[in-house]
Amino acid sequence: MITRRNLIGTSAVLAGAAAISGRVQAASIPEAVTTTSPAMQPPLAPTSGPAYQPVVTLNGWSLPWRMNGEWKEFHLVAEPVERELAPGMTARLWGYNGQSPGPTLEFVEGDKVRIFVTNKLPEHTTVHWHGFVLPNGMDGVGGLTQPHIKPGKTFVYEFAVRRSGTFMYHPHADEMVQMAMGMMGFIVVHPRDPQERRVDRDFVFLLSSFDIDPGTSLPKVMTMTDFNLWTWNTRVFPGIDSLVVRKGDRVRIRVGNLTMTNHPIHLHGPHFEVTGTDGGWVRESARWPEVTTDIPVGGMRAIEFVADEPGDWAIHCHKSHHTMNAMGHDVKTFIGTPQKDLTAAVRKMFPDYMPMGTEGMAEMGSMEMPMPDNTLPMMTGFGQFGPLEMGGMFSVVKVREGLARDDYNDPGPYKHPPGTVAYEFKGAVPDATRRSGVPANPSNVELSVVKPGPKSHSNH
Amino acid sequence: MLSLSVLLLLPACASFSPDGGMSVTADIAARHLRKDVVAIRNDEEAEAARAKVDDLLKRTLNADTAVQIALFNNRGLQAAYNELGIAEAQRVQQSLPPNPSISISRLTGAAEIEIERKIAANILALLTLPARAEIATERFHRAQLAAALETLRVASDARKAFYRAVAARQAASLLEQSSAASSTTAELARRMTASGAMNKLDQSRQQLLHTELTTELARARQRATSERERLVRALGVSGKDLAFKLPARLPSLPNRPPSIKTVEDEALKGRVDLKIARSELDSLAKSYGLTKATRFINVLEGDFIDKRKEERTTGEHSHDSGFELTLQVPLFDFGEARAREAEQTYMQAVNRLAQKAVNARSEAREAYRNYRTSYDVAARYQRDVLPLRNTISEELMLRYGAMQIDVFALLTEARQRIAANANAIEALRDFWLASADLQAAVIGGAGASSDSSSNTTAMAGTSEPAGH
Ligand SMILES: [Cu+2]
Repeated sequence: MITRRNLIGTSAVLAGAAAISGRVQAASIPEAVTTTSPAMQPPLAPTSGPAYQPVVTLNGWSLPWRMNGEWKEFHLVAEPVERELAPGMTARLWGYNGQSPGPTLEFVEGDKVRIFVTNKLPEHTTVHWHGFVLPNGMDGVGGLTQPHIKPGKTFVYEFAVRRSGTFMYHPHADEMVQMAMGMMGFIVVHPRDPQERRVDRDFVFLLSSFDIDPGTSLPKVMTMTDFNLWTWNTRVFPGIDSLVVRKGDRVRIRVGNLTMTNHPIHLHGPHFEVTGTDGGWVRESARWPEVTTDIPVGGMRAIEFVADEPGDWAIHCHKSHHTMNAMGHDVKTFIGTPQKDLTAAVRKMFPDYMPMGTEGMAEMGSMEMPMPDNTLPMMTGFGQFGPLEMGGMFSVVKVREGLARDDYNDPGPYKHPPGTVAYEFKGAVPDATRRSGVPANPSNVELSVVKPGPKSHSNH
Repeated sequence: MLSLSVLLLLPACASFSPDGGMSVTADIAARHLRKDVVAIRNDEEAEAARAKVDDLLKRTLNADTAVQIALFNNRGLQAAYNELGIAEAQRVQQSLPPNPSISISRLTGAAEIEIERKIAANILALLTLPARAEIATERFHRAQLAAALETLRVASDARKAFYRAVAARQAASLLEQSSAASSTTAELARRMTASGAMNKLDQSRQQLLHTELTTELARARQRATSERERLVRALGVSGKDLAFKLPARLPSLPNRPPSIKTVEDEALKGRVDLKIARSELDSLAKSYGLTKATRFINVLEGDFIDKRKEERTTGEHSHDSGFELTLQVPLFDFGEARAREAEQTYMQAVNRLAQKAVNARSEAREAYRNYRTSYDVAARYQRDVLPLRNTISEELMLRYGAMQIDVFALLTEARQRIAANANAIEALRDFWLASADLQAAVIGGAGASSDSSSNTTAMAGTSEPAGH
């Protein structure tokens, strides 16, 4: 959990030394706050500096800071961490301040921020402030704009925050490895005026992907595209928090993509508009209604909607294999292959064997078979009507009436009003009638394929 | 002229021994094999042996009962015991004084008839009687040892045939499992081709693999049949006895290999063939009247031993030093001997014995090394390879549960596990064969069959197809 020892006291003492120049003040480093819990922590309301409406980090937290004169000071520690991806599986990753992703940094437009970065990794690193306009030497590209931060060293980044919006941080040193290992974090810059673009609930999460073999805990960093775990804030469903919303709330969801592919994020129920990218806020006149928005590689989107329809609304990536956990890509397709009569023969060699796949894979969602250590089921998670058959990038926007203002506790499954749930038809169902003229058997269609080649040329 | 009374002064006649000379064989069989032997000489003995064999055949055989059945039942062994009977008969005969011959001759002339009555005795035979008796006794003694040697050989052959037969049968039943796995794979592949999930190429590969394993199984069954027939011959059974039952598996590996610290020493002391050679030497000495030994030599003289043996796996060690291994024979002063031939013949026998002793020691060492190595190999299979194979199977089953692999991967693993088990059986069989060979090297009876490490069991599934 967060340790906030001396946090407020220190900032109070240092507040009087506002006149001292940046470099001298940087001689004292604020305490690095860490957490080991993957649970969502309540929004961190500011106790000093300009006021703002804090964001909610799914399965995460925001980093406390201190005011040092006119500087807002943070301390990030890059270090190896253990992150629970969902109950039953823990990954050994690299991250910041005890977690991957690192804590969310919340700034206010006009802030002068000073970020201390301590490297406790076995190799050098840097931090790039994705989307910020800042002095070139603060941009965090190792070798190009600054020396690398060697293991054991602490670097200081200082810049003024020019505009509000949605940002992120990640290394720009050995980045293929360091991002594959989970090094990333969210940054939200609030408007100077707390009433500007005000929403009631502001959720943030980062998309990341890992390749972790079943039975292991360390990501394979050489994987380029064939990842097997697709995560929101380095969590997979059912380990991902619900987005709990009060009916009538204006809701913002900010998504950043640090995977190597795009993700069409689709929200059921309420329609939304894309109101921001990492380039800034979208002008009102340029917005259009959407139910799915594609988050490009390395991009960020803020979407907004009014939660006027109560219910449990699914929100997920629309690439269906991203709402799965690790699955074997070489598994053959057994649909339409009867296996039951062969079970006895296989059980002679593998007593626990159960045939699967003959009728499709849905049975996997409810089947609970023993698995290798530290492995999540491929499709899992149960709702009030049965298995959800999902893992990975999936969650639920839970819109409820009468929640308290800052209540993010899971209200449980939605209680549908009577007569509003799909139901089984009990009458007689006539046989399908086939339209005449359409061949009954596709194999009756004569296909003639001419193979291009020297032979056809000889006819000329 | 010898009077008839002289004949009465001759040494007492040798008589037939009550056990027919089987005491030496019985003693060796009891001491080294813990088995009974019987020379069947009449109907009652035949009945008794038959009853014992019947009783043993009722139960599932083990190595010991197989040996016992062979000792009671093997006709070749009975023939060796007949040889012993012949030697004893000769011994008794040679100890008898020559029968005097009585002749009456009648000469008729013109004037008279002369009748001469003559009692003639073979004087020379009489004079050499003690020596001949002694030689016949020695020969009998050697026949006893030869019978013992044949007994050990039959026992060793039966034991090894038993291990071979059980191992071949076990290997065949493992291949049956492997064939069942590939049959399932082939059937799945056929159905998946029908459902549209598999192409002809992959299906043909699966089908081919199954066909190959089926062929392999036929060969393994044939091997099991011929090993069983070898055992049948070693046991000497026929008719309804052919239905004897074999255990499904080889006896398991002992936790620690019984250590034999002085295996060479034991071989010198215990080897029946050395005893026979020694006995031959003694009878040669007697036949040539070599009675005055001038000194004794150790045919192994000069072989000073100082070695420390340590077994890495068990930690046992032994320390031998000094002239521990001795095999002494007397050397005679041949100057008084009449014949140069006697000297050469005797020295020939001495050299042969010396060579036999050197061979016996070497064979014992070799057998022991083979025995230890085969123990280590078999132990590696039992303690490392098979548990690891099981872990792999279990982990694959978990991966199957996590939908990481499909049933084809499971069945491929099944075949590999079965192949590992087949290798383990082969290693275990080689250990038991080596252990029988070691016994033979120490007490004799190695016979002609020392091909303990022959690889007769072909492995299932060792050649996986390159991919599919
Ligand atoms: Cu996706």
